[in-house]
Amino acid sequence: MISAERKPDRVAQLVWPGQRSEPVTLAATGKSGGAGEIFSIEGMPGFVAKIYHATTSQAVLAKYRHKIQWMLDHTPALPPIPAEYQDIVQLAWPEALILRRARFVGFAMRKITFDRTLELDYLLNRRQAAQEGFDADYGKLLTVCFNLASLINCLHERRIAIVDLKPMNVKVHKAELYVSILDCDGFHIDTEEFRHDAPQVTPEYLAPEFHDKAVTHPEAQDSFALATIIFRLLNYGIHPFTGVASDHDKYPLELAGRIQQGLYPYGRVAHRSVRKVPASVHEAFPDDLRQLFDRAFAAPAYSRPIVREWVDVLSTYANKRSGQISPCEKGHLRFSDRPCPTCLREALIAGAEVRRRSFVARVRAAPARTLKYVRRTIRHTHSSPFQAALAQAQQFTFRQLAPPPPISTRNAIALEILWISGLLIAFWWAG
Amino acid sequence: MDQRPFDRLLVGGMSPLTALILWALVFSIAWRWRPPQPASPSAWVLLIAFGALGACAFWFVYFVHPEPQGFTLWKPTVVYWTLAAIMLIVPPLGGGYPAKIILGNYFVLANREWRWINRGFGLFCILLGCLNLAAASQASYKEWEGFKWSCMVFLLTVVLFRMMFVWLPILAEVSIHLYRRATAAYRYLSSLLSS
Repeated sequence: MISAERKPDRVAQLVWPGQRSEPVTLAATGKSGGAGEIFSIEGMPGFVAKIYHATTSQAVLAKYRHKIQWMLDHTPALPPIPAEYQDIVQLAWPEALILRRARFVGFAMRKITFDRTLELDYLLNRRQAAQEGFDADYGKLLTVCFNLASLINCLHERRIAIVDLKPMNVKVHKAELYVSILDCDGFHIDTEEFRHDAPQVTPEYLAPEFHDKAVTHPEAQDSFALATIIFRLLNYGIHPFTGVASDHDKYPLELAGRIQQGLYPYGRVAHRSVRKVPASVHEAFPDDLRQLFDRAFAAPAYSRPIVREWVDVLSTYANKRSGQISPCEKGHLRFSDRPCPTCLREALIAGAEVRRRSFVARVRAAPARTLKYVRRTIRHTHSSPFQAALAQAQQFTFRQLAPPPPISTRNAIALEILWISGLLIAFWWAG
Repeated sequence: MDQRPFDRLLVGGMSPLTALILWALVFSIAWRWRPPQPASPSAWVLLIAFGALGACAFWFVYFVHPEPQGFTLWKPTVVYWTLAAIMLIVPPLGGGYPAKIILGNYFVLANREWRWINRGFGLFCILLGCLNLAAASQASYKEWEGFKWSCMVFLLTVVLFRMMFVWLPILAEVSIHLYRRATAAYRYLSSLLSS
């Protein structure tokens, strides 16, 4: 029964697989996306509801219902998680349909606890990650990369692709390092009995062959986006297509343009027209990872590594017992037998900081230096570049006159008044 | 409000008294701020010559109407040859190099360089004076006027040279001084407002 204080549009019917249904009350959370809005479900703290916007047409809603229904019937097998972490939600996968007045309006999914997680975006900036309570090191980052690759690989095995894979759509569990992928209802599905496209893309993570055209090979797109995310995670947020161009006129301003033109400067073979950004630590990566990055960003699409390859390579580094990750002299985790990327980065930053301080000091000293230069000029106490050049060219010494005694600005102004008076007189006579 | 006094001040002719007062004001500033070092003989000669030329100009501007045409044609030659005479006569008499005063002392050159620069200036002034007389006697008045004004390019060159090496540093020094004063005034006013 509906109580008096309940608003009718907040009341909905939850339909579980097997057609068991129950009435629920939704409460707004204030979180909204392009397709719908997120509501909490009263009495069910482990779930949330995504209700499509009221402006969504019936035809589109019908497509969504068809897709959600297929997803309910085909929950993918996910990477195994230890028993103590069973409450971790790796995918915000639909769990039940939501109907309102017998019409489909959305779906319910398991809730990802935001208190325990942070957006993958935050890991691209170590300081931001630390502020969110995540002390990033290469061991943790490689584990996150491995968990993300494993999760995507499980989806690909079921012919499901994410397509719009980007750090904002991925949550990382701070303590457990497992990842959760949001917006599952936007995935691309291509099975024998069901097919649904995913039109949403993000240009910064879009493979070069899909710019200005539809994504025809969604798994290849996921591989590219995954490689980009891994590169950024391991290289302090530097995008693989960020560089320093030798010819600024032809260098696209947008990352999308650089991806299209294949301007990747971090390959084992240097790019002809783009240089790496100075803060990059990619040279500290092991050869197998660099080879994968080169194939992902600098090779034709058909040789791009599939997600399975990333899982295989990353599994070695994510496993503590493999010995592939070891501490450096300062205690940072690094790839064994490779320079420590953290130390490398600190040295680069320290160098940049020294240069910055030096620049600031020079800027602060500029007025005093200018004043000194001006005074020397007025008082004739600094050597003439004209005479120095002459002496150098002619290889003989001048009998240098003693410089005139220094004069103050007022004295100089007095002389110039006389000089200008003479000039005016000469002008009258000659003109 | 009657704007005519202001119009006159801006565009009207200047009376001899106003011109004298203004010149005396500017000269008194120059006198007050004069360098403590004694001036070189060449500077004194230039000062006296230009004082005389200035007085003569003042006389003709305010008291001789109209100016005799013969004098008009000779005027440029007078000033060029006066300069040439000073440049060529003063150095052998041990009075220094007038070219140094005209160009400014930015370039600390050896005496030999100044000597040749001075001679070059002197000969060039003689040449200009002769050319002026030739143009005045051979060409039409209009053509002579064109020649006369084209010679101003040389004057402009000297002005630009001095502007670059002497006036700009002075301007910079004055700007820095004013900036410091303004900063101090700002701090003082801020302290007044904050207290």
